[in-house]
Amino acid sequence: MSTGRDGIAGLILLAVSLVLLVKSFQLPSLPIVPVGPGFYPAIVLSLMAAASALLVLQDLMKRRPAAAAGEGDAPRRNYRLVVIAFAIVGAYVVLLPLVGFRVATVLFVGALQAALDRPRTARQWGVLAAIALGTAMASYFVFERYLLVLLPRGAWTGF
Amino acid sequence: MLDLLWNGLVNIAQWKYLLPLFAGTFIGVIGGSLPGVTITMTVIVVLPFTYGLDPLAGLAAMTGVYVGGSTGGLIACCLLGIPGSPSSIATTFDGFPMARNGEPGRAIWLGVWASVWGGLLGALFLVFLTGPLAAIALEFGPWEYFSLFVLAMAMVAGLTESSLLKGLISTAIGLLITVVGHDPIGSVPRFTFGSQFIGGGFPFLPVLIGIFAFAQIMTDLEKLNSPRGQAVESLVGTKLERFSHLKVNLEIFKQPFLLAWSTIVGLIIGILPAIGGSASSVMAYDQAKKFSKTPERFGRGHPEGIIASEASNNANVSGSLMTIMAFGIPGDAVTAVMLGAMTIHGIQSGPLFISQNPDIAYGIYAAYILAHPCMLLICIVLMPLMLRVTSVRMAVLAPVVLVLCVVGAYALNNTMQSVYVLLMFGVVGYVLVKLGFPLAPLILGLILGDQIEINLVRAIMTDANPWLFLTRPISGLLLLAAAASVVLAIWQHWRHQNRLAEEEPDF
Amino acid sequence: MARTLVTMAGAAALIGVLAALSAPAMAQYPDRPIKMIVPWAAGGDTDNIFRPFAVEFQKHIGQPVVVANVGGASGTTGAREAKAAAPDGYTVYAVHDYIHLTFYAGISDVKYSDFEPICLVAATPSVLTASAKTPWKNWQELADDAKKRPGEITVGATLGSTSHIFPAMIEKAAGVKFKFVSYDGLAPRMNALLGGHINLTDSNLTQKGKVEAGLLRYIAIASEKRDPEAPDVPTLKDLGMNIVYEVARGILVPKGTPAPVRAKLEEGCAKATKEASFAQAMKVQGTRVAFLNANDYAQFLAKIDNENKVVMTDLGLIKK
Repeated sequence: MSTGRDGIAGLILLAVSLVLLVKSFQLPSLPIVPVGPGFYPAIVLSLMAAASALLVLQDLMKRRPAAAAGEGDAPRRNYRLVVIAFAIVGAYVVLLPLVGFRVATVLFVGALQAALDRPRTARQWGVLAAIALGTAMASYFVFERYLLVLLPRGAWTGF
Repeated sequence: MLDLLWNGLVNIAQWKYLLPLFAGTFIGVIGGSLPGVTITMTVIVVLPFTYGLDPLAGLAAMTGVYVGGSTGGLIACCLLGIPGSPSSIATTFDGFPMARNGEPGRAIWLGVWASVWGGLLGALFLVFLTGPLAAIALEFGPWEYFSLFVLAMAMVAGLTESSLLKGLISTAIGLLITVVGHDPIGSVPRFTFGSQFIGGGFPFLPVLIGIFAFAQIMTDLEKLNSPRGQAVESLVGTKLERFSHLKVNLEIFKQPFLLAWSTIVGLIIGILPAIGGSASSVMAYDQAKKFSKTPERFGRGHPEGIIASEASNNANVSGSLMTIMAFGIPGDAVTAVMLGAMTIHGIQSGPLFISQNPDIAYGIYAAYILAHPCMLLICIVLMPLMLRVTSVRMAVLAPVVLVLCVVGAYALNNTMQSVYVLLMFGVVGYVLVKLGFPLAPLILGLILGDQIEINLVRAIMTDANPWLFLTRPISGLLLLAAAASVVLAIWQHWRHQNRLAEEEPDF
Repeated sequence: MARTLVTMAGAAALIGVLAALSAPAMAQYPDRPIKMIVPWAAGGDTDNIFRPFAVEFQKHIGQPVVVANVGGASGTTGAREAKAAAPDGYTVYAVHDYIHLTFYAGISDVKYSDFEPICLVAATPSVLTASAKTPWKNWQELADDAKKRPGEITVGATLGSTSHIFPAMIEKAAGVKFKFVSYDGLAPRMNALLGGHINLTDSNLTQKGKVEAGLLRYIAIASEKRDPEAPDVPTLKDLGMNIVYEVARGILVPKGTPAPVRAKLEEGCAKATKEASFAQAMKVQGTRVAFLNANDYAQFLAKIDNENKVVMTDLGLIKK
């Protein structure tokens, strides 16, 4: 696979654990607790730092296959779609408290469907809209009316 | 004792109890099968309805939810690759690959039948061993709990095939996630960088749902060929393959030891408070793999993996019921709600519970036993409907599942913060999967992190002598077992790699 | 009433779009379900007290009262959530004494004065409880032993919360020294006490069954008078310590909630706490119904806040 992906992951984790390790020593301790709040995190972080360092080492020592065989053989991955999907979920989460559960859910379900499988005919758009509306309505009624979970209301819309 | 149980069964068989039991089981199966809706949430939802019922009817409904939910979780595991509830995590590891290999029916029914048998076997223990076993659990002080958790982690870190080191790092990441936020002893904020958002820490369920749901859905999206035009492949085949219930049952009973041991693992973890179904599923899975003649087939649709996970999580329910009935100590959030319902009805749980309220105690046993046939019936009737899920296009399924995840995270604490955590750990989970880090040890780290720390500090606060961890007999034995487990894992791993090197020279 | 409505409708029309968003809430309060934030997990003591209360409360309010368990960070998450909620009467906050303690311990930045009081609902007297594996049969034996072995008798407590403050007050009054071990929540404390992993803890009358079974021992109750449920348990006052410690639970709403809305809630609370079924539900929780109206509750809160501040200062736990 790609050169030293494990190594890079290991280095990042090592850096994170070392930074947090330093921070864990700076935590204030309480008079009535014999070990401070940094005691346990320091153990976990030392463990993590050691394991990450070993991972880097292992990656460096690994006999690397000739660079030829690589991503080419693997089935083509559609990473663009993943990024778009994450962006749409992100927008949904931001919109939820602003426009309320019902509106945001209609928008989200519609947008993600369109991004994954764009409808081409008017009928397909209709189906898409119906699913978006249906999901929002059904989940709202089931949760708010029957399960008594009060879903977020919009700060902008009050709906 | 048996005549009391018989009376309990006759009592429960009345419509006024049978109906709530059936309804509870039904709601449990549905709630369990929806990713993001946990058994805890389902039982909380049922709680207000039980206020108006007679106490036993209410408890029967909740027992039904508990049993139904523990089984319902496997449906989403097999069909979507997302645990429908945390207690069925390990079912995903083999259920989903099996379903993808064209055997969704076998995967699901193996799980359902394993649940039934594991649950009924658990019932035997529930009825006869409630008293003595719970007495042992009570002897567990902070030292024993700490050592037990260390053992659990040692066992699961060795679970991963790819890299022992990555399993270890995953565990550490899981533990680390629980460290963030106010510390559990003195509430000193840790690693929050002054942010109020992080200040409360990361609640377990949103992290879990985020990591699993996103890792799964996003890796599926990668495989969609083009965003435009072409038909989109569904997750698994559109209908169940031909299979026979008899064959599935034979498959389970061909390995009585696997079934029995998974049940016992689930039971023990259920009895010990504060661990819960998710750990029992993962640990039984690990045990099954350790004892299996074909450990290399795990993770690729091995029936043993499904049987172990599902038998243990239903047995876990009987274990939790034991602890709550003998001592009034809830083993997990679900039994905590049940305990609340009991006190609201004026029933004192505790050591006198069984002798003072034999009708209710044996009624609960009976409800637990009868919930299993109810659950089976519901699964048979509902399955064709449930399978429709598989024929839904990914473009429709992904948004709907994500909405449910968001609602589930939100409803947990009724705050948007949980939803932000969900999204954040969605990204984390996806990245970790892409980097080849196994998720199961991470999840166990998450489950046990707080408890390990609390018990470690408690032990030190109670007595400053660190050798107590080794000199207290139960604790010492558990630590010894943990060390043995690590050595075994390293040895197995080494052997595995040697074999790999021989079989596949320089690929 | 009709005139108020007309005036309000007129005002809403004048202010226009902005007001249209919030006006419907005012017109006929309440016209949708009310969310009751319980800052602890479902099945806990507080939850067990407020769920039956919500059932009675909604009868007199005319809309469903939905309990929302917003747990986490020693109750602080729920407190923040309640403080940030819209002051429209659709979010009420079920609180107990922890609000004072977490503030002074520096855990939380939310103070009781960030809210408007509605009513006090119930009070649960604390009971000092010993493990059956300890030799002490009564307070005198415990006190003698504690004086001989300072700092060795273990007490399970949620550090910085009510279960810590109460034994600490006894420490001070009796001139002894305990060793505190962190156990969050009543259930884990009972577990440890039954197993003998701690010697003492703060509990309440809900544990009566275990005491009767000989698994635990009640040493003393911190109420004004002996409780009819447990007449053999002496009060701390009987034992010569001037300590009355009850966990008081009540209802607050975010600051800025309109007076008519508060009046409606207060009225509903007053009626709900008078229901016989509520009294029965509280009895099994080892709790007494303790209604105070908004004015009295405000004074009560100020008094308790001050007392807690003094205790926290004495104990050296104060950060603010």
